[in-house]
Amino acid sequence: MTDPVSRATRPGPDAALADFSAELRLVDVPLMQVVELVRIDLPEDQLEPLLERGVLPGCRLCPIRRSPFGDPIVRVDGSLLALRREMAGCLCVRRIADGPH
Amino acid sequence: MADLVATDCHAVAGRSAGTATLDAPPDRALVALIGPPNSGKSTLFNRLTGLRQKVANYPGVTVEKHVGRARLTDQRIVELVDLPGVNGFSARTLDERITRDVLEGRADGIRAPDALILVVDVTRLEPQLMLVEPVLELGLPTLLVLNMADELDARNGRLDDGVLAHRLGVETARTNARSGHGLEAVRRFLIDVADQGPAAPRSPRDLSRSAARPPLPIVEAFASRRRRIAGIVDEASYRPAGPSKLSERLDSIFLHRVWGPVVFLALAVLVFQAIFTWATPLMDGLEALIASSGEAMAARLPESWFRSLLIDGVWAGVGSVLVFLPQILVLFLFLGILEDSGYMARAAVIADRMMYRVGLQGRAFLPLLSAYACAVPAILSARTVENERDRIATIFVAPFMTCSARLPVYALLIAAFIPERAILGPVLGTRAATLLGLYLLGALAAVVTAFALKRTFLRGKASAFLMELPPYRLPSPRSLALRLVDRTRIFLRRAGRIILLVTVVLWGMTQVPRIGGEAPPIEESVLGRSGQVLEPAIRPLGFDWRIGVGLVSSLAAREVIVGTLGTIYGVEDGSETSMELRARLQRDLDLGGAIALLVFFAFALQCMSTVAVMRRETAGWKWPLLQWGYMLLLAYVGALAANWLI
Repeated sequence: MTDPVSRATRPGPDAALADFSAELRLVDVPLMQVVELVRIDLPEDQLEPLLERGVLPGCRLCPIRRSPFGDPIVRVDGSLLALRREMAGCLCVRRIADGPH
Repeated sequence: MADLVATDCHAVAGRSAGTATLDAPPDRALVALIGPPNSGKSTLFNRLTGLRQKVANYPGVTVEKHVGRARLTDQRIVELVDLPGVNGFSARTLDERITRDVLEGRADGIRAPDALILVVDVTRLEPQLMLVEPVLELGLPTLLVLNMADELDARNGRLDDGVLAHRLGVETARTNARSGHGLEAVRRFLIDVADQGPAAPRSPRDLSRSAARPPLPIVEAFASRRRRIAGIVDEASYRPAGPSKLSERLDSIFLHRVWGPVVFLALAVLVFQAIFTWATPLMDGLEALIASSGEAMAARLPESWFRSLLIDGVWAGVGSVLVFLPQILVLFLFLGILEDSGYMARAAVIADRMMYRVGLQGRAFLPLLSAYACAVPAILSARTVENERDRIATIFVAPFMTCSARLPVYALLIAAFIPERAILGPVLGTRAATLLGLYLLGALAAVVTAFALKRTFLRGKASAFLMELPPYRLPSPRSLALRLVDRTRIFLRRAGRIILLVTVVLWGMTQVPRIGGEAPPIEESVLGRSGQVLEPAIRPLGFDWRIGVGLVSSLAAREVIVGTLGTIYGVEDGSETSMELRARLQRDLDLGGAIALLVFFAFALQCMSTVAVMRRETAGWKWPLLQWGYMLLLAYVGALAANWLI
């Protein structure tokens, strides 16, 4: 959150700590766990709505609650975004740190 | 007749003749307000223009073009246009397309703006600033309005406006549009714009080829834009507002696993209750007023064809539509409160799972809920549905929702044919159950149709559903009131044009051919003959020529059938509560025929305004014709089955 430039670029090798390097899907991230977006596994023509709302590789996401039917609601850049769990399954993320976003 | 409708509800992007007045006079500067959804743009617009604004078409809830005038302190006037809220200019949605067209100077009926006001929610500045680059590239004088500044302070955010303004190379103003704080700076900007006067006409600029639609790869283009913004925002010592405690607390109820759906259902029931019970006294009052004023007028006029036209044609016809005004206003008041408070976004998230199953998505919830009042605003508000296939599916099924125009028909037939008996004690009687059944029948048809469409004509990959959840906010009474004023104006225009014309034409058809200089008996008139021509086709449904006449007359607007049947049976009081009309109907229609007629009305698309707005919103005749034919077929088959079964 402190250095916006490195936030939006690929992390250095020091970020690849054993516990934190494993890729997982946003849909599997426990609530309140801050993660960094690595990659979006969606066809090009479906990316734009995500990109426009700040869901870009390198950004920080934090699932803060689930909707009544189990879809994740994530905080990104101070906004709340609701997405379907199918889409959350296409977002590849990596753990970075615990704590509030 | 199509042209007449076109001026009424086709003025969406300002293409019809009726919107020529939308264009700012050439001697006045035109300023466009743009910004992401929920940035408070419309509130600012309302603050600046007040009642000096108009809407170009039937409003959905926040998705159409408003134009208005701001009077400056020196009495000069600047024209303002409030564009739909957008996150980008990729023209993925109709809203984005309209916004892009206006900014590029390509929209018909409105010239390119001379200056821009970009409104952003300063509590989450970074993503909101994604619009700033493409907007600044237009090279127009631009004011960046940092709205909701009070929330930023209250929630421990921070921003050095001076640095931000300097780094972006744009003027900024901190405002709180709800309370009116900071508007002086916006007005000063407008004075500067007025000083400059309107810019010389110039060739259209291309937003989509510049920064808005960067060359591939798209991810890298967005990421680099984002990096530049992050750098600037960081220099301006920006700290976003902390999470809103109130919003978190409310979300823990409204999005709770159990309470969420409970509140959702309770609110849906409340909206229905409001439309159908609380609006009733107002509607009865209005109806009595229209009837008594008609009688008073009739008493003062000599017996003549003119009196007949005025009282039996115009007054009764327009009056039969006017009575729906309270109901529509109550619905839009509720929708406005739900939307402005931020709840509607949560409702869409809850609805999404259910709607996804049938091939729709959460954003279709609001349009389909609005369709219970009227399909026209529903179809327009479906513009917020981002995926084109989803949008078409939504507006295709919207007319299946039981709109208020069907109610008088249902009320008349149910009262005439369904004896009142208790089913569930005092809670549910046979009549209420029939009405409920008709609502469910419509909803079921919508679900099945959407399901089928998404597997045939509109087959495609599952679309993305992304919903931004804005913080909860108290709706501003001012914005709500303005919205209702808009609705009233537009509704009166519809009653004054389409319905007026339909009723006059129908009245004319009862008057010819003249027999001995007098109006013919109804079965000899052109209208009566049209029913007789139709009779062989509708016999199997249990309808005679009189119902045929009613069906012909209701092609343009459903509710007209009640008045027409009144005319055919020569009943004095031709309203749905008339005892005499009920008695006459019972003589000519058996129970099977009555149920068949109810089913026919549940399915058929007898609404000229809907067809017209469908043509505009789908840019062609294919969808409206398909929809009209499909609904008619379903209505015929459904009525046939009902008549055969009962």
